[in-house]
Amino acid sequence: MTAGKTKTRLNIGADPREFQKRPSWTNEDILGLLDEEDGTLDPRIYTDEDLYRLEQERVFGRAWILLGHETHVPKPGDFLTTYMGEDPVILVRQKDKSLRVFLNQCPHRGMRICRTDGGNAKSFTCSYHGWAYDLGGNLINVPYESEAFCSDFNKSEWGPTHARVETYKGLVFANWDKNAPTLLEYLSDATYYMDHMLDRTPAGTEVIGGMQKWIIPCNWKFAAEQFCSDMYHAGTVSHLSGIEAGLPEGMELSDAKIPTVGYQFRAKWGGHGTGFYVGEPGMLLAIMGPKVTEYLTDSEAASRAEQHLGSAERARQLMVQHMTVFPTCSFLPGINTVRTWQPRGPHETEIWAFTVVDADAPEEVKEEYRRQTLRTFSAGGVFEQDDGENWVEIQSVLRGHQARKRRFNIQMGKGRSGVGNKDFPGSIGYVYNEEAARGLYRQWIRMMTEPSWETLGP
Amino acid sequence: MAFEKVCNLEDVSEGEALQIETFEEAIAVYNVGGQIFATQDRCTHGDWSLADGFLEDGVIECTLHWGKFCVRTGKVKAPPACDPLTIYPVEVRGGEIFVDYEAGKVGE
Repeated sequence: MTAGKTKTRLNIGADPREFQKRPSWTNEDILGLLDEEDGTLDPRIYTDEDLYRLEQERVFGRAWILLGHETHVPKPGDFLTTYMGEDPVILVRQKDKSLRVFLNQCPHRGMRICRTDGGNAKSFTCSYHGWAYDLGGNLINVPYESEAFCSDFNKSEWGPTHARVETYKGLVFANWDKNAPTLLEYLSDATYYMDHMLDRTPAGTEVIGGMQKWIIPCNWKFAAEQFCSDMYHAGTVSHLSGIEAGLPEGMELSDAKIPTVGYQFRAKWGGHGTGFYVGEPGMLLAIMGPKVTEYLTDSEAASRAEQHLGSAERARQLMVQHMTVFPTCSFLPGINTVRTWQPRGPHETEIWAFTVVDADAPEEVKEEYRRQTLRTFSAGGVFEQDDGENWVEIQSVLRGHQARKRRFNIQMGKGRSGVGNKDFPGSIGYVYNEEAARGLYRQWIRMMTEPSWETLGP
Repeated sequence: MAFEKVCNLEDVSEGEALQIETFEEAIAVYNVGGQIFATQDRCTHGDWSLADGFLEDGVIECTLHWGKFCVRTGKVKAPPACDPLTIYPVEVRGGEIFVDYEAGKVGE
């Protein structure tokens, strides 16, 4: 080269003399992905193919996964097909009203047993060779069984793999791991905060509309973490245009304060987290409109909720609550969108979302919930677009090698959480916080590195 | 000829089928636009109740492997079924449905 010697030494990042070893991910490597003390996170947690494969086994093979709501399948024979991680499953209401979940895979040659989204069935028949299963997932018919199969062929041994299924106040969860704790143990002290959406009335909740499904190119953890822990984006810049556009006509912007009072909660076990504003209704008004805001804060139903939850603060004062039950069950109490983040490789997520309402809410309130969640949090929702844009852009940036090398800052609220109060118990900190995110990643790392529930369990 | 009461007319609404288990072999009773028919309930292909199937235009489709039969004649209407159904004489008297089980014969 003809250029002269450079005098200044730039700190250029690349050193091409050494290739990075393809990581084999020892426990020590995985433990290093999050440093809670320093407050840093290794972004390969969102991009690495090997971590993703391990995650399917160690997280999605052992965690309780949200499949839907009991009212998705009210009658015997009602079913829906969904996923636990990448594994397709069928959720079926039995004749005795119990629920069963089994792998949507015919053990004969591996074909999908049921190929529709949902409906009502008497039986399920594989469309490849006609092996047929009853509602309980038992193999009941094999064409040409006596003519073609060997004498020791036993149908009872060849049903699909079953999962455990349990419900919490209407939400249906399933788990592959026979040694995992019960759902209630798994939810730990987070149930108290789930009840803000699920238990405002003795009537419980019901689903309105169907399941909305769409695909975005980002890792599922961006979405799960934000619903777990990130009010910061809502109180800063992400949703400003949506908030402005959603305010009732003629409302003075100075009356629509961005709230500053609120709390964040990190579950004592399990990686679950939530956060909410207290008192200031401006943002809720911009998201859900006056009818839903009034229903939640100043109506007969709000009075009943106050009695039922035993607290005016919990029933009427909580605004824009966000929540994740580890790993992929997220919802917004009050706004009432519920979703499962379905992992589809490290770089893609299917979002399966539905809306719940108090089962005894007036029809006009249910209709308003349908309209507003469609407008705000859905495939075309204005706030959903803002969120997705951030997650997808981060994923896109992380295609870069340099970008993947730089650890992220996850320091907000570090060391500042304390014991909550009567209304908001547990580990509680300020509303703008990343304590719950640290909890979510801690649980992820524990599930990735601890094979036994004896150490991992609550 | 011995007709026996199997159910009331109102037990089988239009477009529906009902499984009756009072005889040696279960039978299925169908309501096709107000006309009542009866066949053997067990599909001749797989061991499965036809009354659980889908009835459309007088044709019953088994839910197990989608074989179809004409409920009036017992004839096969779609594979993988190969053998016709046994059909039974039916009478409707004053809102009650009677079937002559002994007079059942294989359809053609």
